[in-house]
Amino acid sequence: MDYYTGAVLRALQLIINLDPEVIEVVTTSLKISISSTFIASIISIPLAILIARNKFKTKKFINIILNTMLSLPTVVIGIFVYSIISRRGVLGELDLLFTPVGIIIGQVILIIPLITALIRNVIFSMDEKLYKTATSMGASRRQKFKLLISEARYGIIGALIAGFGRVLGEIGVSMMLGGNIKGVTRTITTAMSLETNKGRFAFALALGIILLSLSFLINFVTYFLQEGKDYARR
Amino acid sequence: MQEDKIIEVKRIKKVCRDKTILDIEEFAVLKNKFNFIIGGNGSGKTSLLNILSLIDQDYQGKLYYKGQKINKDEQNLKLRRKFSLIWQDPYLYRGNVFYNIALPLKLRDFAQNSINKKVKAVAARLEIGNLLEQSAHTLSGGEKQKVSIARALITEPEVLFVDEATTNLDEESIQFFNSHFADLVTDEMTVVMVSHDRRQIKELADQITLLKGGEVEITKTIHNFNFELFGAGIEAPIAEIV
Repeated sequence: MDYYTGAVLRALQLIINLDPEVIEVVTTSLKISISSTFIASIISIPLAILIARNKFKTKKFINIILNTMLSLPTVVIGIFVYSIISRRGVLGELDLLFTPVGIIIGQVILIIPLITALIRNVIFSMDEKLYKTATSMGASRRQKFKLLISEARYGIIGALIAGFGRVLGEIGVSMMLGGNIKGVTRTITTAMSLETNKGRFAFALALGIILLSLSFLINFVTYFLQEGKDYARR
Repeated sequence: MQEDKIIEVKRIKKVCRDKTILDIEEFAVLKNKFNFIIGGNGSGKTSLLNILSLIDQDYQGKLYYKGQKINKDEQNLKLRRKFSLIWQDPYLYRGNVFYNIALPLKLRDFAQNSINKKVKAVAARLEIGNLLEQSAHTLSGGEKQKVSIARALITEPEVLFVDEATTNLDEESIQFFNSHFADLVTDEMTVVMVSHDRRQIKELADQITLLKGGEVEITKTIHNFNFELFGAGIEAPIAEIV
């Protein structure tokens, strides 16, 4: 028991003292996760609006695929992207395997369905009068799009935060495509796995506490954006 | 006397899920007049209003503005910006009352100074000057409707469409609407109004059109409203509806 109590104390010490190794891993993780979320949002926001606002023949099919991809295991995405960016893959010549870009590609594929589905639901549930009123006020197509984004902003931010939380906590993609290289592709989750195996329990625990705190913060912000007490007034 | 027509429809047909909800051979909106459209539930009043105001462009037939055919394929932005609409249940955007009233002018790239002046002027006319900083989502139904009227009038539209604006309002708000509406509309404005309110029709109507089953049952240009003018057989259904 003393071993664990000591480990917790040492972990807290590492956090309080801003241990350079801990900071490096957390920074790498945040950089990669923010990049993945940003790229995914550029694809997901227009895609979600397209699906929610248009009628087309393959809509049902696309929705089924989107919903299926929500539960796609990270290792499956890892293997899929690995087969593309590894030496023998189609993009093998670009040397993307075991680089931050490799992880970002995998994470973008992982969260596009999640962000798209969440934003699709937000847009779909918005009052039809929003569009009719915009038309009646003399809004151009572009202005209508901006008004729509503005009206759905809390839901969109909530979806992006959910996507960010998903990539920050995943391990399959980061491990398979990043290779856990110190200072380059070592993220919070891969470092935790490696350091626990090496017996550096306090170090892994420190990262775990940080990850848990970040998850709590993300959920707290998401809650107040989507379900907070002022929700009905917005 | 031949009245000026501002909008005309010819052989308009609107089909929704294999059901014809509108089938009008000919109908015209008179310029600078109060044009009322009346009819029972499902008679096609709102569908016609949506087509006339270019909100709905999914129909068969032809629509003319001042004699010029309106092309459905275009965005019709220039023309749409000459129109305004007041809905039965208005949608107000997130933000305060000022933002909502100013929105049509912002969409038209008006200067901020001009926007400030116009918003204050129209808000004063509708007696909502004290609400400008208030969040639009905290307003009562009557206040919301006043904001939507201010928003529709701020652009000084050529044609103002009103879709049962008083249906969901309390008695006090209806009184305000009935006593102020005619003063809010300028002589240069054309009004197309869907309404069930006898008093509004009696006091304001220049032309009244009765729709039944998606078709124009009768159109009358009137100056002193009198149910008798509609003749035997028509008087009863109108009296029933109005």
